[in-house]
Amino acid sequence: MEKKEKSNEIEEVEAFPFINGENIDLCPRNSKLAKVYVCWKNHPRVRKYARNVVPRTIEDQSKRFERRTEGLVDHISLDVWHKKDNKPIGQIGLSRIDWINSWANTFLQIGEPDYWNKDIGTEATELLVEYAFNELNLNKLHGGVAVDNIGSWSVAGKIGFKLEGVKKHEMYVDGKYVDTKIFQLLKEDWVKGKQD
Amino acid sequence: MNDKKKDFATPFLEGILINLCPLNIEHANLYTKWSNDPDIRRYSRNIIPWSIDEVKKWSEPKEERVKKEIIFEIWHRKDNKPIGRAGFSDINWFNRNANLFAEIGESDYWGQDIGPEASRLLIDYGFEELNFYKIYSRIFSPNKQSLRAAEKIGFKHEGTLKEHIYIDGEFVDESRFAIFKKNWLNSKK
Repeated sequence: MEKKEKSNEIEEVEAFPFINGENIDLCPRNSKLAKVYVCWKNHPRVRKYARNVVPRTIEDQSKRFERRTEGLVDHISLDVWHKKDNKPIGQIGLSRIDWINSWANTFLQIGEPDYWNKDIGTEATELLVEYAFNELNLNKLHGGVAVDNIGSWSVAGKIGFKLEGVKKHEMYVDGKYVDTKIFQLLKEDWVKGKQD
Repeated sequence: MNDKKKDFATPFLEGILINLCPLNIEHANLYTKWSNDPDIRRYSRNIIPWSIDEVKKWSEPKEERVKKEIIFEIWHRKDNKPIGRAGFSDINWFNRNANLFAEIGESDYWGQDIGPEASRLLIDYGFEELNFYKIYSRIFSPNKQSLRAAEKIGFKHEGTLKEHIYIDGEFVDESRFAIFKKNWLNSKK
């Protein structure tokens, strides 16, 4: 594997894979990567649809990883780790987990634009969906994407997420209100889809 | 990957293949690897990822006066390195019982009877030093290896909780195995 020039000096960190995929692993987050996370959060193209509209500092990021929630968590986030290039390239996870009604929102952000349009988002989402249904035993997953965010939209469709509805003028992006599509995936449909 | 500089292990309980040593925060990397590894965590039911920052925090001394759990590092004597963790969780000092667990984090050491050896050391310790009355273990039905090990050690099956645990997309049974001080001490005579 040839050594690539790294744009920002990152300490060598271990991945500690939590879920194994083919091209990527999903790994716990790590305060040593705070610098990397900050680059993603603040990157103009990356943050566009993630709606990070306020700047994030390294301190914001590095404080977040030592608190382990007591009892039930309502948020799980993982690093998307590129196996061949041996580096984290984005994050994925579940937010607002509702244990009673058994659903969660999914989120995904490939923070390194070089890795866009390479089906990495699809693979990461597949791994997350399997984890959410088969390990966490959730019943339903939501995903929301802005209407013109073609990238996320196609990921959702490939995995079997179905359009649940459109929220009019839900987001303010680049000077105008845009619609948001709400996708949902039911566990029973996912299980059926895997059998076919 | 493991820097071999001067790894430090101070045995607390001595066995034949292994010793049980106190946890060592210098090994937070290993603990994090084991806690997250899909094959290791399957039957430990670590279903939420652990960041290394959380593991370090977890390894720090706790405020509690009376320990609710006592956890050791399993140290391989010949290879001179930590290969897993074992101990008591959910210690109940009134009823004098506790849940025993052993997790071999390095899969190269699976199938070498290290789990049973760690368990025996812990059982001796639990009954003869901590004055437990009963030690139990929770085993999930797909985990055949632990079921066999528990029986070999002398644990008796107490009951089965039907479809109690969700593993790999299905509900499976949880069996409770237990051993009492009186039986253990008798069997050693």
